[in-house]
Amino acid sequence: MDWQALILTLKLAAITTAILLAIAVPLAALLVLGRARWLAALEAVTALPLVLPPTVLGFFLLVLLGPRTAFGRAIVALLGHPLAFSFSGLVVGSVIYSLPFAVQPVVAGFAAVNPALVDAARLLGASTPRLVWTVLAPLARRSLATAAVLSFLHTVGEFGVVLMLGGDIPGATRTLSIALYDQVEGFDYAAATHTALVLLGMSLAALAVLYASGVARGAGPESARRGARHG
Amino acid sequence: MKLIRVALIFLVGLAPAAAQAPLRIAAAADLTPVLPPILAEFQKATGIHAEATFQASATLVTQIQNGAPFDIFFAANVAYPQRLVDAGLAEESVPVVYAKGTLVLWTRKDSGMGAPSLALLRSSALKRLAIANPDRAPYGKAAVSALQSLGLYRSLKPRLVTAENIAQAAEFADSANADAGLISLTSAKTAQMTAAGSYFVMPRDSYPPLEQAAVVLKHAAAPEAAQKFLDFVLSAPVQAQLAQSGLAPAK
Repeated sequence: MDWQALILTLKLAAITTAILLAIAVPLAALLVLGRARWLAALEAVTALPLVLPPTVLGFFLLVLLGPRTAFGRAIVALLGHPLAFSFSGLVVGSVIYSLPFAVQPVVAGFAAVNPALVDAARLLGASTPRLVWTVLAPLARRSLATAAVLSFLHTVGEFGVVLMLGGDIPGATRTLSIALYDQVEGFDYAAATHTALVLLGMSLAALAVLYASGVARGAGPESARRGARHG
Repeated sequence: MKLIRVALIFLVGLAPAAAQAPLRIAAAADLTPVLPPILAEFQKATGIHAEATFQASATLVTQIQNGAPFDIFFAANVAYPQRLVDAGLAEESVPVVYAKGTLVLWTRKDSGMGAPSLALLRSSALKRLAIANPDRAPYGKAAVSALQSLGLYRSLKPRLVTAENIAQAAEFADSANADAGLISLTSAKTAQMTAAGSYFVMPRDSYPPLEQAAVVLKHAAAPEAAQKFLDFVLSAPVQAQLAQSGLAPAK
């Protein structure tokens, strides 16, 4: 078992999930509470990573954000190294790659909150941040949990982006999915089986906990309408 | 139901096109810039259409062992095709050597590293050196042997970035994400890489010779065409063409 890869993968997934939740809550609030037309375009952009091949993202990060472009040189000046072949590069890639898995459940959760409660809070003078913090987020907490679990697991399952810009460096960019690939390509099927079972077990266990907690069964007030479909 | 019927009719309509299958070639990644013009000439000479898939040699072995529908396998070493011979998946009893590869150190002209040389490998300005994965790409293995025999492996190991195959190692260096790369001469000789950078031929005695061998696969759909193509590659004009592209003749 490649423990270093396991720890690295968990670390990557945890950091990515934390960043994604911090982005997803305000973004979802904007998408649900906002009325502007361009918000539809924004929603489309946040859903893009669902349908784009990871290779598109890998290519952008490797070449268009590489040291040959002005933007890439700014990154080098800021970080001291290019995004490629570094843990921070993988975090950037993972945040983009898993964005819809964080945003969509939160949007569904916020949208399912009874509009009368939102109106009441507004009438009582709550600002938008306060409305989100004290009404929407607590009522949609199960959707937040769904978003966290899905973002985490989706990051653990990331492969194409890491293969394209990782450089397979142990302790920095060799995640569990890459370690598994290395084991298969190195004809080490015993180790590959082991790694695959760990990934399978981890994902199944997390999803089982998520579903057992009733998130997808309409147990939460917010999941009755959209949550069940998205959870 | 109607949708399924339409889909079935569509699939059946595609079947005749699939019956005229092209010659399918599994090729080591160092052949990426080399093979396409040879395929075009082969088609002109014989009328046989061939398509190539480029990957690290070991990756292709895994795919072939698991039933990938290739007719012939061009590896970047002898050991991987030998593996297929041992597994009873090849027509030949011995892999046929078709060329010898050359390992070069390549940098971009604008990398600020100066001309590539052994001194560059000792320089502390070299932060990232791209190599192919030594566990599955023969050029990656050659790169590690070369660094080891030059006594540089230990100091460079933390600075190595490993590409999936030798063509990706070239891409890492060309996109400037790595400062330099130990890549194949075939990549270094392409128009793009010639314009963007320069190369240094690694000392020949620093790594075991990169003899590249091929086998016709036992379950080939087009064994005669595969054999014809192998003969074509071994013919004098194509061998001369390979030499131009950075692959020394087999004999």
